[in-house]
Amino acid sequence: MAVLDAKLARDLWRTKSQLGAIVLVIACGTGLFLGMRATMRSLEAAQRGYYAAERFGHVFAQATRAPEQVAEHLRRIPGVEAVQTRVIGDVTVDVPEMIEAASARLVSIPDRGEPLVDGYRLRSGRPPDPLRDDEALASEPFAEAHALRLGTRLPVVLDGRRRLLRIVGTALAPEFTYSVPPGALLPDDRRFGILWMRRRALAPAFDLDGAFNDVGLRVAPGASVGAVKAAVDRELARYGGLGAYGRDEQPSHAFLQSELDQLRTFGSVVPMLFLAVAAFLLSIVLGRIVTAQREPIAVLKALGRSDAEIGLHYAKLAGVVVGAGTVVGVLVAVWLGDTMCRLYLDYYRFPELPFRLAPGELWLAIGLTFVAAALGTFGAIRRTVRLEPAAAMRPQSPAVYRPTLIERIGLSGRLPHAVRAILRELERRPGRAAMSILGVAMSTSLVVMSSFVFEAFDLSMQLQFGLERRDAMQLTLAQPRDLGALASLEQLPGVRRAEPVRIVPVRFRSGSAHRNGVLTGLPVDGTLQRVLDADTRVIPIPADGIVLSRRLAWILGVAPGDTVEVDVLDGARPRLQLTIARLAETWVGLSAWVSLEALGRALGEAPTLNVALLDVDAAHRAELHRAAKDTPLVQGVAERSATLVAYRRMVDENLGRSTLINLSFALVLALGVLYNTARVTADERARELASLRVLGFTKGEVATLLLGELALLTALGLPLGLLLGRLSVTAMADNLATDQFRIPDIVAPRTFALAALTVIAATVVAAWAARRRVDRLDLIEVLKAHD
Amino acid sequence: MTVLRLRGVTREYPMGDVVVRALRGVDLSLERGELVVLLGPSGSGKSTLLHMLGALDAPTTGQVLWHRDAGAPLDLARADDGTRTRFRRAHVGFVFQFYNLLASLTARENIAVVTEIATDPLDPLDALRLVDLADRADHFPSQLSGGEQQRVAIARAIAKRPALLLCDEPTGALDVKTGKVVLRALRRIHLELGTATVLITHNAAIAAMADRVLRIADGQIVGDTRNAAPADPDTVDW
Repeated sequence: MAVLDAKLARDLWRTKSQLGAIVLVIACGTGLFLGMRATMRSLEAAQRGYYAAERFGHVFAQATRAPEQVAEHLRRIPGVEAVQTRVIGDVTVDVPEMIEAASARLVSIPDRGEPLVDGYRLRSGRPPDPLRDDEALASEPFAEAHALRLGTRLPVVLDGRRRLLRIVGTALAPEFTYSVPPGALLPDDRRFGILWMRRRALAPAFDLDGAFNDVGLRVAPGASVGAVKAAVDRELARYGGLGAYGRDEQPSHAFLQSELDQLRTFGSVVPMLFLAVAAFLLSIVLGRIVTAQREPIAVLKALGRSDAEIGLHYAKLAGVVVGAGTVVGVLVAVWLGDTMCRLYLDYYRFPELPFRLAPGELWLAIGLTFVAAALGTFGAIRRTVRLEPAAAMRPQSPAVYRPTLIERIGLSGRLPHAVRAILRELERRPGRAAMSILGVAMSTSLVVMSSFVFEAFDLSMQLQFGLERRDAMQLTLAQPRDLGALASLEQLPGVRRAEPVRIVPVRFRSGSAHRNGVLTGLPVDGTLQRVLDADTRVIPIPADGIVLSRRLAWILGVAPGDTVEVDVLDGARPRLQLTIARLAETWVGLSAWVSLEALGRALGEAPTLNVALLDVDAAHRAELHRAAKDTPLVQGVAERSATLVAYRRMVDENLGRSTLINLSFALVLALGVLYNTARVTADERARELASLRVLGFTKGEVATLLLGELALLTALGLPLGLLLGRLSVTAMADNLATDQFRIPDIVAPRTFALAALTVIAATVVAAWAARRRVDRLDLIEVLKAHD
Repeated sequence: MTVLRLRGVTREYPMGDVVVRALRGVDLSLERGELVVLLGPSGSGKSTLLHMLGALDAPTTGQVLWHRDAGAPLDLARADDGTRTRFRRAHVGFVFQFYNLLASLTARENIAVVTEIATDPLDPLDALRLVDLADRADHFPSQLSGGEQQRVAIARAIAKRPALLLCDEPTGALDVKTGKVVLRALRRIHLELGTATVLITHNAAIAAMADRVLRIADGQIVGDTRNAAPADPDTVDW
């Protein structure tokens, strides 16, 4: 066997670049599969452990003011294991080094002991002293963003009064794993944080002594979450309950879950395609090696080597390639998983997110890789085993070709011979051609899919902040005010114009379908916030009737002209019957719009506002922020540019990087397919091509013949890939859509261009390799040798 | 009239530590319209000589002078790859031992591939008629016998009306009967088109059909004889 192993080593060396390309494709497949699955498992494990340790709730509800005794009723709901009532409120934080105000959510913790539901993980310092009413824990990201040290005094505007809170520790909590400012899309740790305070210190500020406005419940395994939600709603209805919801509607959990779903889909479909391509490449390259070695195989057999020895010899060759691919793949997986876990930690604030490679996943990945490889190599190895020595010593008869379908049905016209030859070549091995085309198509669609996410974010930001929102600043008021308050806001420095908005929490209903959301009242003649349809045309706010977001209409199963029931979860809690005027396209939240007047009428009051949109003179920005901080009426400030900056930073830091990673995977795939196809074709046809050189064809002419095939594969695969990519984007946009956030199902032309360029670049590299082969054709060899 | 003249051509290949001297000072002129059979045993250097004649390879020393219709003779030994390619493209036809047809093209198309890049070629079908294969024009190589494939290869080689036709053991892979058919085709073409033809073989019997017989041994021309009456291929036997 030693001699055969020496031959093996030489064969490997001779075909190193082709086999190397396959190793990379296998490595990508195995690496993606293992990396993404292990990341998913790591995330799941971190989530599970964290949720369990900190008693993350199963059902959540908010109310205006519920007496503490109601907690006892909640505890008695069948299936409820634990109940934790809390006081929660949003405040403005005057961070000294920031011009603008930040906002914080104050969350109460029990005066004694740990929260029974929705606990927190202390990261530094100590919990607030129950006997002191000025101590607070700050969320770790917020503390990090402002470099808050323990003992720092943070000025907050609480119930119209400025108070100093002493930061005694930092913490994280499962409910804020993914924490975005109210109404925002992305985390912004500078402008939004969580502050935990003792209940007795917090309750008076919100006038909630002996009462609560937030409750979390843990439900026993097997008990119905739906039944518990319904029971909670019944208990809280009298106290301004805003409708109980489960984890699926808890913003942080829902975001994390959609991330996990995405990983699961992407992590199983894409790597399988890679492995399928790797199997295909192995089959053509090994097939070529076996064909080229017919004679040596025959000689070895004639000299007495058994079929099994020969078969094993070639199986070893495949084994080395697959083994190397798997090893590199595992390294890729570890790197990818580690990178992704770090990346996730920037957005999903777990106490820790270690990347763990579970042995089960490892073996699964290795097993899958070898199964794919076995499928790819089976045919070639079987041929070596079956080869009759005598037959192998005779030259192979010419490959059988026939006129292509196009020619048979008489469409060929005056096709150049080169084109005919290429078409016949493709039609002679339809399987190989199909797999090559599919490989090209897959790389193309992979680029489309990966850069689409990038584009989609960009687009939704453009839509939201370029077309929908035209204000520079948005002020949230502590309480709804009548429209007269607008005049005083217009007096703030730098304000050119202010428009009123009234937002009320509601529950939309139609038949048995219902969903919590917000109803936004806009002035009919407003210009600072607009509602757009799917074609980004402005929808005028109807004087009567309601405009629903498409997603909401889809959930409720309603269409324009239908009536939707809207339970207002505020004030007198009226139930409205509104006719749907139009459907709008939005990417964030579940929204609906009515006119400010109509909303006032429905609520039985004069029109009011609780949000003011400002058109601002940028020169007075700092003054305006200072004035807003000193205006007790103003509870929160959101600046359009700040959101865009936060978004830009995220794109630059992370999305760019992950797109780059995906792009390299796509490039490896395209190169693997095209390079190997080109090389194998060049090798198979070396004799024909050299003959043509002898007959006086130039290197360029001969290369054209060879490269034409490559060009045709790309020409067929590329549009198919763009189409596949487009369809995948639609599927992804559908699958990844949540109530909180949706991805626009649009692919920008430059995404298609990028995909096309990537694949064309790979084609050019493969063509260059094939061309080198043509340049090195041995013209003399063809006069003697027979293939 | 001379088509090609070799002067003092040597060809040496370094093979590890030793130098193989495949040709050792060959002087040779090929005249228009003559059918030359180049005879020699294995390893005598006849293939290397054919490579020199076809400008597939350059000599280590010496000249390969191509006597063009206009201008001074061109030394192919000093020409670059492009010039040698142009020479082959316009003036040389090759017939290989193993035919080397393009399997994906029909007989007619195999010829057309060459005539498309030639200046004054025969019609592919006329070329096939010369080798009695007009009725197989639309057959693929896999549908043709070895002899038929070789005749297509001959038709392909002469379709561009080359000044020089080089045949490397054209009957080497064929049985006697088929070999004769191929030789007859070569003879007919030679008579009808007057192409200078060099046929290399180790089969001495074939020499009977030549105008001129060159014997080569150990890298040197050791015999140069003329047949007063070249035999008909049908009478040749081996």
